[in-house]
Order: sequence, then structure tokens, then C-alpha cells
Amino acid sequence: MAQYFDIDDILAEDELVPAVFKEAANGVGIFDSSDDTNRVEAGSKAELPFWLASELHLRQAVSINVPLVSIKSKLLIISDDFLMCCFSSVYMVFLNVRTREEIEADAAHVDLRKRCPYFYELGCKLAHLIDDRILSDKNIGPVLFVAFQTRYKDVLVKAHTSALSVTAKNLTLLTREETKLYETAQSSTAAFKKWKMGGPRFQKAYVLGRKRKPTE
Amino acid sequence: MAGNSDPHGSAFSAAEMEFLAEDELVEIVPNMRMDPINLICGDFGPFRPQIATQVPLWLAVALKKRGKCTIRPPEWMSVDKLTQLLEAERDTERVFQPLPFHYVEISRLLFDHARDDIPDIYMVKSLIEDIKDVRFHKIGTGLETISGRTNAVKLSNLSAMEVNIVRPFLAGALQTFYKLHNPEMVPESERRGSRRPQGADRGARRTLKPR
Repeated sequence: MAQYFDIDDILAEDELVPAVFKEAANGVGIFDSSDDTNRVEAGSKAELPFWLASELHLRQAVSINVPLVSIKSKLLIISDDFLMCCFSSVYMVFLNVRTREEIEADAAHVDLRKRCPYFYELGCKLAHLIDDRILSDKNIGPVLFVAFQTRYKDVLVKAHTSALSVTAKNLTLLTREETKLYETAQSSTAAFKKWKMGGPRFQKAYVLGRKRKPTE
Repeated sequence: MAGNSDPHGSAFSAAEMEFLAEDELVEIVPNMRMDPINLICGDFGPFRPQIATQVPLWLAVALKKRGKCTIRPPEWMSVDKLTQLLEAERDTERVFQPLPFHYVEISRLLFDHARDDIPDIYMVKSLIEDIKDVRFHKIGTGLETISGRTNAVKLSNLSAMEVNIVRPFLAGALQTFYKLHNPEMVPESERRGSRRPQGADRGARRTLKPR
């Protein structure tokens, strides 16, 4: 239950995932703007926030799409661009094949924040949700793990040794989790350096500095 | 402050580490005469001129400020010992040399307040800086090898300041590794092959720095 109030968790669940409606739904025409009527037909695709999609998935009202990677991955790679034009929202932005290939090539420089700032958290939740399907994609977990492992090394080295103004470029590539780690390391190293510089050991309490005007 | 509400910043501040370091005992040579003083942490004294006694560091610094004693540097703070330590640190790759737990803080306090009591102070200062840098670098290279199956990380002979700096980062990183590697995420067959046949729930134990 600690996650209920966690801001990062709430924001992570707000990310959009593509889903296919298995049944028609009334009153939610906002998802499918091509129609004038206020309903969504069965079989239509829409991008829902994760909290909504997972609840509906458990009630069997939608099915969440994850691209198949196993056998057809080669074909998918080649025709990836073509398919991207046809189904603009089918491929989950942060798990599509291109991202995976990029991660395998050089995980440290993939711009995960642009794709999805809550990469790891959302990936964990999706892995829980989708592992009951027949063609389930068991590759989400290892992909996340490998990506984190390689990026972590980078983050570690940079965080502890860099000066304050350097590597602004790398910071924009990190997800929220990694940024948190980075910032904790930075702050503790900075505090240590500041202490080493010296400075007054005693600081005057703030309340003492405020003088009251003497009343006549 | 230690244990504040931020879950990722559970470190002491540097000033607090210094405060804790001041409890260490050092040897002083008083130049006055005083009766024994009874403190909560112990009884110290009697102080006779030119007879060395052991007192806590905070008391030594306070006496020194009033000009009532000279502080004798601890025996690990000589140029020879430190050069030896530096060589040993540079030669061994994954092992840290045993050093006093608070060596950073103690050395800084002594440099600030007892400059004239330490022979070759510039040499000593630069040696301690070098030792510190080498150890930090070793920590960095050691931490790179953490994999998903690491349950705990053991670093022997680390000093208080170094522990304080890496603690929040390391805790967060280990937690994320654990979260990404738990049994639902990684397929079962892969995990079974990599586990030793022990009781349930024990991954491979990995010590980074063998004692």
C-alpha cells in the first residue's frame, strides 16, 4: 500500500499504453475521435492511461498490445517504419523493436526519458499484467534488466566524479529513477567536498538574527 | 539529519560524522596541572606537566585552543606509515587497507587545530589526500561489478566518510536491481540455472572485497 500515495507511482501509471477494445463501450467517445457518436466499437484501438488499461484488462474488456518479438522479429525490424505509418499507436513507444535494438547496441545513450520517463516502473507493471497470454513476451524483464545494468555503470561513474556543471547532456537521457540515484550521489559528494573546504564550524541560529525593534 | 523522511538520503551530514569522530582517543602532552575530570564517557587525568595522557579528541582540541597542551599525532599519521599504506593501496586491486575508521575527520581536525604539532605537515596532508582518492576509485570500480544476483555488498575496511558518501546511492541501486530481477520478471528457467542448490530464496552471495 505504500505505492498508493507514492507520487512517482501515480505518475508512472499515467503513461499511455495502446489497447484494443474487445467490446463496444458507451460514453467514451473521447478515445476515438474519428466518430461523432459517443461510443467506441469493439476492436478499435486507443491509447489509454495505464491505470485504466490494467483495470479493464483484468475485467477482460480490453487487451493490451505488446509487439511480438520472438520469431518474426526480423521481419518486424525491416518493416518497422512502414508499420509505424499504418498503425501509429500500435507499437508501444517505449517497447518497440527499435528501442530494444538500440538498447542492445548501446544502452547508455538511449534517450529513455523522451520515450517514457518511467521506463522501469511501467515495464515491471506490464510484465506482471501480460504474462498470462499465450504469446506472452517474456522478454520485457531481461530487456529492462540489461538496460539498467549498463546504464547504471555510466550513472555511477559520472555521478561521483563529475564537477557540478558537466554532463548535462547525459542527464536528459535518464529516467526518473536513475535521476534520483544520480542526485543522491551528487548531493552526498557535494556535501563532503563542502565540508572539506572548511568554513565556520558553528553557524548562528536563524532566529537570533532577527532583531525586534525595541518598543519605546 | 540522519533518518530524515527522504528515503534516498539516509546519510549523516559531514558535520555529524565529524562529531562522532571526536570521541576517538588521542594522546596529549599537557603543560599544566589539573585534577582528574569525571565525565560521562569516562574519567581522564590527572594532568601533570610533560606527562602524556589519553583524552577524547574534542577535549584535546578544546585544551589546545586554550594553549594548555600539545597534541601528539597518532602513530598512523607519520610519513613512513602513510607512504607504506599508499603503496599497499595502489598495489592491491580489490582489498582496502585497514585504516582507522575516522581517519578523514581526525586528520582534518588535527590539521586545523594542531598544525605545529605534526612534523612534515604538507607531506602528510598530500599523502592522506592520495590515499583517499585511491580508495574512492577502488570503490567505484568495485561497484561496477554488481549484477542482478547480488543480495548484499560487503566492503571491508571502509572508513566512515566513504561509507557515508556511497550509502544512499548504493542502497537505491541495489533496490532497483532487486526490483528488476525478482522472480516474476525473469523467466524461471533462466533463474534455475544460475542458482546454487541451496535453500529457497538464497541467491549467490557475492563479496566484493574478500577479507
